Amino acid sequence: MRCHLSALCVMILVCLSAPLPAQDVKKAILDYFRKPSSASDTARPVLSDSDKSKLLNKLRHRLPDRLKGATDALQPISLEHEISIGRQIAGNLLGAAALVGDDGLQTYVNKIGRWVADQSERPELPWHFGVLDSHDVNAFAAPGGYIFVTRGLYSLLQNEAELAGVLGHEIGHVIRRHHLKVLQQSRLLDLGRQIIPKKITDNAFAQSLIGQGAEIVSRALDQNAEFEADRLAVILTARAGYDAFALPAVLQQIGHVSRDHDRVALLFKTHPHPDTRLQKLDARLGDRLDHLKGRTLPNRLYHLKPAKTTKPGK
Amino acid sequence: MNQITRVLAMTVLILTTALPLLAATESAEIASGTALKPDDIREEPFRDATTTGALEKGDPVSILEKDGGWLKIASEKGNGWVRLLSIRRADMTKASVTVEGILSLASGRAGTGNIVATTGIRGLTPELLRLAKFHAARLARLESYAVTRTQARKFADQGGLKAVSVPYLAGDEK
Repeated sequence: MRCHLSALCVMILVCLSAPLPAQDVKKAILDYFRKPSSASDTARPVLSDSDKSKLLNKLRHRLPDRLKGATDALQPISLEHEISIGRQIAGNLLGAAALVGDDGLQTYVNKIGRWVADQSERPELPWHFGVLDSHDVNAFAAPGGYIFVTRGLYSLLQNEAELAGVLGHEIGHVIRRHHLKVLQQSRLLDLGRQIIPKKITDNAFAQSLIGQGAEIVSRALDQNAEFEADRLAVILTARAGYDAFALPAVLQQIGHVSRDHDRVALLFKTHPHPDTRLQKLDARLGDRLDHLKGRTLPNRLYHLKPAKTTKPGK
Repeated sequence: MNQITRVLAMTVLILTTALPLLAATESAEIASGTALKPDDIREEPFRDATTTGALEKGDPVSILEKDGGWLKIASEKGNGWVRLLSIRRADMTKASVTVEGILSLASGRAGTGNIVATTGIRGLTPELLRLAKFHAARLARLESYAVTRTQARKFADQGGLKAVSVPYLAGDEK
């Protein structure tokens, strides 16, 4: 993806340096994304990474100041910006659903989530985990390390390893910046009209970037991002000392819920069917992890109190 | 003659409408199924309710009622409540109930019709999410639960969890 973006940078800079009208620039960018990647890869000249950065710097020098802001949007987003975008999404999502009013539960989920996240390449993120008071079966991730699982999904879990597996999938989205990539792409499509400001730390700009409310979490990611998050989850769960096959066990459960069940409607709309996910995992995993004897810790799984006695929306 | 026809028609009508109802009340079973995995049978449809028995994988069950994520079942291993997803429902073609019956079971409209009210919980629909407003207090509460790496490691140790070196699958390396 990074290579994708930098190739695009080069392309935009070439367009900008030539005296082309804005419409043509936009068309070129749109065309870039419309082409299937295999076809476009062969059509584009191959540049080594060092050639690309040399070309970028060279072109950058020639740009008028007014346009330098545009190239900033194409750089990898800073950690500070990543967190502020994720924080905005998390705050909005919490406007739609409260946290389950059980401090013990929330702290427990943070301990498990943090332990799994610490097995990843981004332990330095300020990881936050929460259980949402919704009977929907779902889990959500926002950039910067904000992760949620619903009461509905939590109540399906059989053991601590399964919780680790579910959180691991969301951690996978965060560490590979799946949502940020979608945001960056969608903003790029507007480049013909608008220059992205350099400063995006304020809430208003973060909000303008993510659309309305928390709608971003109701949009599907690329299917391959979901399959990748499943693979990362299995590995991170195993690294944390848990049963590597905990997430697959959860998927097997969810796969038996009817698609018509309104509690899985959003999950099934935004994710490939669990059966497909299991098949994809199986194809890539094979027997690679069979020698590992991870723990499931069924007795340590924090018991949810029945919803009836829960105080709503503290 | 006319009257006889009418009586006959009435009888047929009564038989066709009432008989299935009678059959339904006699056998309260709304579907049959098998246990997908070992699971406890509980006295009440709650995770922490008293256990009254245990199902082994593959045990046949009769599904009597549905309440949220729970199915009331009858089986040789005991009667009570089992989590809905521990049970694989029988194939539609083999089931003794109509397709509509299975769909309504799946969507929570079957059973006693006595669906338990839950606390202010709406589905997270795209519409609801789009209209969601930033909730600073809940976010602050979420952030207050953060644990440090040391705390997480300590809790892992307590559970006997040992970090293992496992490489990412080919192509997923960072």
